[in-house]
Amino acid sequence: MTIATVISAASGGEGFAPPGPADFHLPPLFGEVTKPMLLVVLAAVLVFAFTYLAARPAAVVPGRLQFAGEYVYGFVRNGIARESIGSEHFMKFVPYLFALFLFVAVNNYFGLVPFIQYPPMSHFGFPLGLALLTWILYIGVGIGKHGFLGYLKHITIPSGVKGPVLAIIIPLEFLSNILVRPATLSLRLFANMFAGHLLLMLFAFGGEYLLFESTSLINGIAGVLSFVMFGAVTVLELLIMFLQAYVFTLLTATYLGESLADEH
Amino acid sequence: MEGSLNMLGYGLATIGPAVAVGLIFAAYINGVARQPEAQSRLQPIAILGFALAEALAIIGIALAFVI
Amino acid sequence: MSESLMAAAGEPNPLVPHTVEIVLGAVVFLLLVAAIAKFVVPRFEKAYAERTAAIEGGIAEAEQAQTEAKAALEQYTAQLADARHEAAAIREEAKEQGAQIIAEMRAQAQAEADRITSSAHAQIEAERAQVVAQLKSEVGALATELAGRIVGESLADDDRQKRTVARFIDELEGSAN
Repeated sequence: MTIATVISAASGGEGFAPPGPADFHLPPLFGEVTKPMLLVVLAAVLVFAFTYLAARPAAVVPGRLQFAGEYVYGFVRNGIARESIGSEHFMKFVPYLFALFLFVAVNNYFGLVPFIQYPPMSHFGFPLGLALLTWILYIGVGIGKHGFLGYLKHITIPSGVKGPVLAIIIPLEFLSNILVRPATLSLRLFANMFAGHLLLMLFAFGGEYLLFESTSLINGIAGVLSFVMFGAVTVLELLIMFLQAYVFTLLTATYLGESLADEH
Repeated sequence: MEGSLNMLGYGLATIGPAVAVGLIFAAYINGVARQPEAQSRLQPIAILGFALAEALAIIGIALAFVI
Repeated sequence: MSESLMAAAGEPNPLVPHTVEIVLGAVVFLLLVAAIAKFVVPRFEKAYAERTAAIEGGIAEAEQAQTEAKAALEQYTAQLADARHEAAAIREEAKEQGAQIIAEMRAQAQAEADRITSSAHAQIEAERAQVVAQLKSEVGALATELAGRIVGESLADDDRQKRTVARFIDELEGSAN
């Protein structure tokens, strides 16, 4: 907000309205359907189309598309699932993790695609839905493996901790494993997408305002600088969008692996 | 001046997690530099630590909007 | 918190999730997971497994081909050695045969030569005997005639004559001996 204030001060306070949370609330396109809802469905369709086309040949010598699909699939399967869950149980969760990674990544990259330029994950509901699914999944897997009480013990009492310390540890571990995990999982994705998009909007709108609404030379230079920053932030966002999809998937896999582990 | 004091507080609150994330990745880079073959083992741990440290900043942003 | 929510009436609070979005996001994602689990992952796994099998099969095939090649090489070597043996045996036999033929020829030639020599000897002997016989009769006749003339005695009696001559020649031969 401070940059926005500086910009609005530099432009003589003529009423540059810095982009805020209100800009994320688009009017519904038709009925109750809004743009992010459409985009989420589009992302699912795109992901399925891509993976289906890539997987359909199932050839021993892959074509270009199949190679790309297998590259991503191998990355999620071997790099995330097998590393975090262990080679014994990981195959059951590969479809979930593979879909999760691609779904989140495609949704994130919608924030940079021209004419779409809107990351649906900046609406808190979507990441929250995904995080709740992950939450249900890893708790369900844990209860299925250890039993209800066994799972409670598994997550709240770290091995090797005894005595009065447990009085502090148990509530803390419960809080961290059951309540904080889904919250941070969803909030991290949401906040990154929200802030990234806000930053992009700020530099784009600010640059446009400085260049075209003002006649002063200094403001013009500042406007060009603002667009340069826009490009730099776009590159940064490219990295962050991938990283968030990776982190979301990796944390899901890690939670699953912990639920399946024999020792805490 | 526009904006709320919450956001100022949030800005201050991010200093801690920022330092933490920096330390985590510094340690990760150190580890990989000393033992490049350990990268595949260190990477998930580093990302997990990063996620835990970042959770503080995320709780911060939630509180900044809610309170 | 209630204050901020009231403030959110003016500016929507981004942290208030829409139930529609939670449900929609979760449902769409679950559908995607189901579709991927059914159509995509099995195919990728199949391709993986087939590739692994192909690579392992290729290795096995190569090993098999190598052993086959080795076996063929051994067979050829054995055959070659056999052929060499055979050739040597044939050569040996031919040599033997040649020697035998030469010996045979030599023996034959010797026999021929012997035969020719012996027949020549026989002929010579026969001729000599004939000459001796002829000489005997002629010498007898000559001697009787000579003796008759010298003695003057008619020796017309043939039998006596012959006996006398034979006695004479026998005496001659006995003295010669």
